[in-house]
Amino acid sequence: MTAAIRLSNVTKRFGPTTAVDHLTLDVPSGAIYGFIGPNGSGKTTTLRMIMHILLPDEGEIEVLGSPDTAAARDRVSYLPEERGLYKRMAVRRLLRYYGRLKGRTIAELDPLIDDWLNRLGLREWADRKVETLSKGMSQKVQFIASVVSQPSLLILDEPFSGLDPVNAETLKDAVLETRRRGTTVVFSTHDMATAEKMCDRIFMIFRGKKVLDGTLEEIQAQYGLDTVRIRSAAGSAALAGLPGIESINDYGQLQEVRLAGDPQAFLHQLAARTAVYHFEVARPSLHDIFVRIAGNGNA
Amino acid sequence: MHKTFIVASSEFNTLTRSKAFLIGLFLMPVFMGAAVALQRTGRDQTDGKDRLLAVIDRTGVLYGPLKAAADEWNAAGASNADGARTSPRFLPSAVNPDSGTPESLRAELSDRVRRDELYAFVEIPANALEPGVTETLRYHSNHPAYRLLPDWISTTLNREIVNQRFRVAAIDRATVARLTRPLRLEQLGLVTRDERGELKAAEHVDEIKTLAVPAAMMVLMFFAVMSTTPQLLNSTIEEKMSRISEVLIGSVTPFQLMMGKLMGSAAVSLLLACVYLAGGFAVATHWGYGDAVTWSAMTWFLLFLILALFIFGSVFIAIGAACSDLKDAQNMMTPAMLLLMLPAFTWFPVARSPDSPMAMTLSMIPTAAPFLMLMRIAVPPGPPFWQVAASVSITALTVVGAVYAAGKIFRTGLLMQGKAATLAEMWRWVRAH
Repeated sequence: MTAAIRLSNVTKRFGPTTAVDHLTLDVPSGAIYGFIGPNGSGKTTTLRMIMHILLPDEGEIEVLGSPDTAAARDRVSYLPEERGLYKRMAVRRLLRYYGRLKGRTIAELDPLIDDWLNRLGLREWADRKVETLSKGMSQKVQFIASVVSQPSLLILDEPFSGLDPVNAETLKDAVLETRRRGTTVVFSTHDMATAEKMCDRIFMIFRGKKVLDGTLEEIQAQYGLDTVRIRSAAGSAALAGLPGIESINDYGQLQEVRLAGDPQAFLHQLAARTAVYHFEVARPSLHDIFVRIAGNGNA
Repeated sequence: MHKTFIVASSEFNTLTRSKAFLIGLFLMPVFMGAAVALQRTGRDQTDGKDRLLAVIDRTGVLYGPLKAAADEWNAAGASNADGARTSPRFLPSAVNPDSGTPESLRAELSDRVRRDELYAFVEIPANALEPGVTETLRYHSNHPAYRLLPDWISTTLNREIVNQRFRVAAIDRATVARLTRPLRLEQLGLVTRDERGELKAAEHVDEIKTLAVPAAMMVLMFFAVMSTTPQLLNSTIEEKMSRISEVLIGSVTPFQLMMGKLMGSAAVSLLLACVYLAGGFAVATHWGYGDAVTWSAMTWFLLFLILALFIFGSVFIAIGAACSDLKDAQNMMTPAMLLLMLPAFTWFPVARSPDSPMAMTLSMIPTAAPFLMLMRIAVPPGPPFWQVAASVSITALTVVGAVYAAGKIFRTGLLMQGKAATLAEMWRWVRAH
């Protein structure tokens, strides 16, 4: 599979701060690629370099087969985390404007705009000003603005943040539909569950360096079967003082325990203390892996 | 270039659909209409309030003529259609100078003025009729801004004092007046020849043509610049803070975006200016001044307007890109606004003496040149061509420099969030490769 984005040894500095540090990355064409990382880790800087908003200090970036990221500009679309919409512009006028800036004509755009507005339930809002829309509607309009030019590469920054479940579901379907049409999708998110479910591959950046890159299975495999999920009569109180526990993530009804020792021996000791209803040896979740990396402050 | 026009067209549409544009379009004619209406209303306004005046006449001979003049004034007072007086009555009353010391009299009359029993009082010195006297007529009132009464008193008393001095000197006042009557100076243009070589009489110099038309063009240019360029600052800040700029510069280069905004804004100003020029031309033609608004003047006006729009537009865009909110921008706006206001402070001496060294110097300063050189061109005979060429060249070079610097500041500032850039930082951005 060819790479939609290829970063080779890319570094970006802002004064004394190195925002992105010798990053190498291949995003395959047609994939949904998740960018994760704590705030200030270098995600947005990386996305901005891919968008040609910033230029790298070192290294090379290839977008859609072109080493000149500016040349690919019309085939790449971007949805920022905060809605980049003109509040006083009518929805259709705004979508036409953004589409025309990507090289499309109004004749090409109008049927696509109508199609997307219908699909996302915004047909009646086409001639209304953006400032009259709810947050969810604005997010959907922003999404349409980013796909209406039928880009080859779509970059979404926190596309589902702040959305209610219904709107999040609608937008998720729209993202998958876009991918089915052949668009490569890169999105950054703090929602690990969404990344686990939607992404073909996941990349994590921390302090400007790549710390994870691969499919969910490949990433989880690096950490082995060191996690047990427990539901017991005594809850987290029963775990106090048991040997082999490295960390406990207490969800109230369920405890997720990272274990250093033998799970069978641990189960035996726990059962001696309380009634155990559920005991599952599992790979760590993406959330857990994220917390291990970002929480410990090292990879 | 195509994308620059798309940005410009969007900017033009947004600005012309805004309430600010519609207000701007109608505001000037409304203001002008209101000013004319106010003048007309003011002309018919009545001020029929009586002005009671106490007179301490230490000469003993001037109160009588003053009273007679007041009666004449009151009898001749204009009335409007309803029969109401449109000018006040002056009602003098004599005060015996010997009824107290000068200080006590002044104090007593001042109290009467405070109690509104009098409007004012005047004191005529005893030696007022002597030639070469240095004493003054003392007029006391608590309405210092009201000029009609003191001016009338001064004129009336001085006329009577001079008459009496002539009489004492046995000189006929009428003869003196005839002998000393000055000749009126008539200001004319130059004699010209028509196509057949025949001489044409010189025309009278018309104040409206020589001063009002150039001033009106400068005001119109000022209005056109002010109506759109400061909005570039607001729109740049809005685009920056709501991250619209990030979406846009994913599609166009920062320079294309900035030029598009500048061109769109300039197009709106030009539209406004053309509407007003057409309106102004129609009004001028109606009043017989159609020939005062020449094609040449309009061409220079449009050229200088474009230069002014690009200079100030670049400045406001750069400030918008360097700031994070309007509060930050206010501080940086001050020097830019002072530059913009410079012609407003200096236009009158330039119009009165358009070929003075000061006028020439000011019309070479790039931020003032579009306004002041235009004014110099509009006032006959106009400046030498080399000065016009130098002014246009300096301003055009400044436009190039301003657009280049603004482009650099725009590119960097647009992505900078959180705090406003300092002038030193902006200068570093301009110099950065």
